[in-house]
Amino acid sequence: MAGRRPPLIRFFPFLMHMEKLMRKISLAAIALGALVLTSGPALAATRLLETGSSLLYPLMNLWVASYQQAHPDVEITTQSTGSGTGISQSIAGVAQIGASDAYLAEAQMKQSPMFNIPLAISAQQINYNIPGLNDKHLNLSAPVLAKIYSGTIGFWDDAAIKAINPSLASKLPHEAIVPIRRSDGSGDTFLFTSYLTMGAKADWSAGMGTSVQWPAVSNEVGANGNPGMLQTCQNTRYSIAYVGISFLDQANKAGLGYAALGNASGKFVLPDAATVGAAAAAGIHNVPSDGRASLILSPGAKSYPIINFEYGIINPKQKDKETRDALVAFLKWAIAPSGGNNVRYLSSVRFLPLPSGVAKIATAMIDQIGT
Amino acid sequence: MTVQQRNSIISRVWWVISFAALAILVAVLLAIFWFVAVRGFPALKFSLFFTVTSGLAGGLANAIAGTVLLTVIGLALVIFFGIGAGVWIVEVASPRGRQLLRFTVDVLAGVPSIVVGYFLYVALVEGLGWGFSLIAGSVALAIIMLPYVVRAADLALSTVPTELREGAIALGARPTVVLFSIAFPWALPGITTGLLVATGIALGETAPLIYTAGWSSFMPSLAPTHSPVGYLTYVVWTFISQPSDAAHALAYAAAALLMVLIFATNLVARGLVESWAARTLKRS
Amino acid sequence: MATRAVDVVAATTIPKPKSMAAQTALVRIWTTGTAIICGALVLLMLLFLFAFAWPAIKYNGWTMLTSIYWNIGDQYATGTTVHNGVAAQPGANFGSLVFIYGTLMTSILAMLGAVPLSLLVAFALVYRIPARIRPGVNALVELMAGVPSVVYGLWGVVVLVPFIGQQLAPFVTSHLSGVPFVGGAAGSGNGLFASAVILALMVTPIMVATMRDVMLAQSKALYEASVALGSTSWQAVTRVVVPSVRNGVFASVLLAFGRALGETMAVLMVCGAAANEFPSNIFQTVNTIAAIIVSQLESASTDASGIAQRSLAELALILFVITLTINIIARLIMRGTDRLGKSNA
Repeated sequence: MAGRRPPLIRFFPFLMHMEKLMRKISLAAIALGALVLTSGPALAATRLLETGSSLLYPLMNLWVASYQQAHPDVEITTQSTGSGTGISQSIAGVAQIGASDAYLAEAQMKQSPMFNIPLAISAQQINYNIPGLNDKHLNLSAPVLAKIYSGTIGFWDDAAIKAINPSLASKLPHEAIVPIRRSDGSGDTFLFTSYLTMGAKADWSAGMGTSVQWPAVSNEVGANGNPGMLQTCQNTRYSIAYVGISFLDQANKAGLGYAALGNASGKFVLPDAATVGAAAAAGIHNVPSDGRASLILSPGAKSYPIINFEYGIINPKQKDKETRDALVAFLKWAIAPSGGNNVRYLSSVRFLPLPSGVAKIATAMIDQIGT
Repeated sequence: MTVQQRNSIISRVWWVISFAALAILVAVLLAIFWFVAVRGFPALKFSLFFTVTSGLAGGLANAIAGTVLLTVIGLALVIFFGIGAGVWIVEVASPRGRQLLRFTVDVLAGVPSIVVGYFLYVALVEGLGWGFSLIAGSVALAIIMLPYVVRAADLALSTVPTELREGAIALGARPTVVLFSIAFPWALPGITTGLLVATGIALGETAPLIYTAGWSSFMPSLAPTHSPVGYLTYVVWTFISQPSDAAHALAYAAAALLMVLIFATNLVARGLVESWAARTLKRS
Repeated sequence: MATRAVDVVAATTIPKPKSMAAQTALVRIWTTGTAIICGALVLLMLLFLFAFAWPAIKYNGWTMLTSIYWNIGDQYATGTTVHNGVAAQPGANFGSLVFIYGTLMTSILAMLGAVPLSLLVAFALVYRIPARIRPGVNALVELMAGVPSVVYGLWGVVVLVPFIGQQLAPFVTSHLSGVPFVGGAAGSGNGLFASAVILALMVTPIMVATMRDVMLAQSKALYEASVALGSTSWQAVTRVVVPSVRNGVFASVLLAFGRALGETMAVLMVCGAAANEFPSNIFQTVNTIAAIIVSQLESASTDASGIAQRSLAELALILFVITLTINIIARLIMRGTDRLGKSNA
């Protein structure tokens, strides 16, 4: 061995202890196992777990941080996992509140009837990165977007884009459009494809859902989460992306432009409190008592076309009375104008409060939560 | 030019290339560390260590405690099971058994961590009804670490010179003594490396923990089940996706902290091994 | 050598515990027990996946391996389509060819870069770095193995991808326009090349650490003897050391390849998540099995028919099979070279 390396052989005392150590570890493992088998749910304050939508997550955190101070006897943990996980863990009873951007589909409701409780109103913007035009607001419509994401419109100076942007027509560059879509299953994809499906039936064949079979467009890019969408859009010139409204400030800071979208009356409107509010006011008339309604393309000349309810998916049967009571109290606080639906919380993520009619529907459902 | 001269030039050129390779690796590491440090260190305040996460702000005390707890329990499990299996491969197994377990372990290394997490979610969290818990998370980490530890123990124990074993056996040492007083001391640096690499990987895992440990913004209770646990990678993965600069700062702070934690663990473990080695040298 | 071992054992006082036999039995139980549990665990996961994926395997048939389209079906439709006695949402079609291709290509490309890089670094570490600063460099390498995969991904998105998309890819594609796999559209930077680079960086430290330890443990004497006999230091390393540590090096490469195949988060962030399409060159977007599992688990869990979720389990099984196949092939090659080596000697 040439003596280069100490053979490490003489720590006898230490190593002879190793076997004792092993024995101790195995005893500890057995003890731990026994502990696991015997211990029931830990006794402490009532615990609520919220998991799901990453779009609702920032708001949920503002709510919980504030609610917690007034109610130290309830421990609410929030998780950003995604709407699908929120729904499935709420059904499984692992989580009490499943946050979702989309209401449950009919097929799913048949299998496991859950309460779809609207908690707030959100929207979505279309961002783009066209050097020189990012400080202007392009007009984009559902048919144009459908054609871009299907590959039939390939360049920014396409006649169809020029036609709805007469004042910018001469400035639109002859550059290939890079459509960016979400790679992960997402409520944002659901909203965007709903807009395309309802607004451009003839041009959009992929349907709507949290993940769809995107038409093959050669320079299309998939990005992970809303931050991934923004980052990729910022990195990639002549790209276009759909992003949740709470990221509008970030998009502006990144120097991206956002579009005025064609609504049900054929007008082009920017997303702001007035247009999203107008769309909400117009859309609530057809909200059924189970809360499941799409607000996409609400009527009205001033209505912004891509808005939605953020839902709490709640299991009608909670595991015990303490959990049920804590859950009901929190949900009622969340939808109250004096509580969670106060602009104080909503404005920082650019959400809007529930109209009072919808709040009534939500309250009715909350009252039916049982054990 | 003689053959010797040419060979010596070739040799020198290759060594230069080797150093270039090392330089590239170190440069990338420094670039990544710089990338995290610039964004994370400004947010790394003293108070982070003593306050829990609250919404998208606050501290990291719960995540630090959770990460340490999960990793330590995971390590305890993997030391017991992984080294045991490694010893079995080298000392006990028949050639066929040896081949089979090595093969199995290599396959396990290729299982995406999300699959491990999902499997445990179905088996432990839902199936046994443990809920999101410390024990489910630790088991997940132990399974992620297992292939690296088994392989390291296997490789390190295989390099123990036959002469040493034979000498010991010739002197009447029992198999247990050979194992604990000859083979383990020899293999210790190799096993330590394996444990360190595995710990690094475990500390950096997110996907399997989301489905097993869950997440909690409170200090971990020591209850093994029904009590979700927070951890640093969750903060990195989730808070980076939030639309607020404060959340991003916290995410980068958690990433920087994670790297410091890994670095410190490495230094301490390396130092221990080196000092043992030095002491042995002095005595012999 | 032998005298040294004798010295050592003689110098150590072998204590006389109460029962030697009991101790030996305990060690035997410990090692055999843990080995069985480790093996059983992998088997259990495999069985679980298979049982869970079974309806999807029936529904998909060969489509899974021949189709390039992944579509969980129209979740908002009423009614279902039934295939081979299994119901799914209308339009559901699960084909994984694009993902299988992406998994193999990203990992193979990564290993093509990482294996030579790791060997070179390990050589430099073991035979050229002065012993005084080696611990420092060692610590750096192990630190690199511990960088969270999310951090690699973030660095990839913020630094690497813009560099590839705005500088490297346009340069390469314009100068090598006719070359297959390289020429063509430059893309956005996300894609096969970025994924391979990130994977290579992630597995290199793991390989270096193992290769270094194997070399340190085995071959300094061999190396010195070879140099004394007149070979250059490089020849000593490549012709004497490398063959003698071949098995250890090979094991580390296999382990790293396994990790590359299964790596999820970092790849997910830089691969560009291609769907329904193969990349036309190395700068185009791809997708891997691990990435698609984690990115689609979300949507799949809302599928009322459950087939989407089960199809993801089938994907995991396919990845299992890929890893298994590669391991078997590698072992066969190893056995072949072992025999060659023996007949030469």
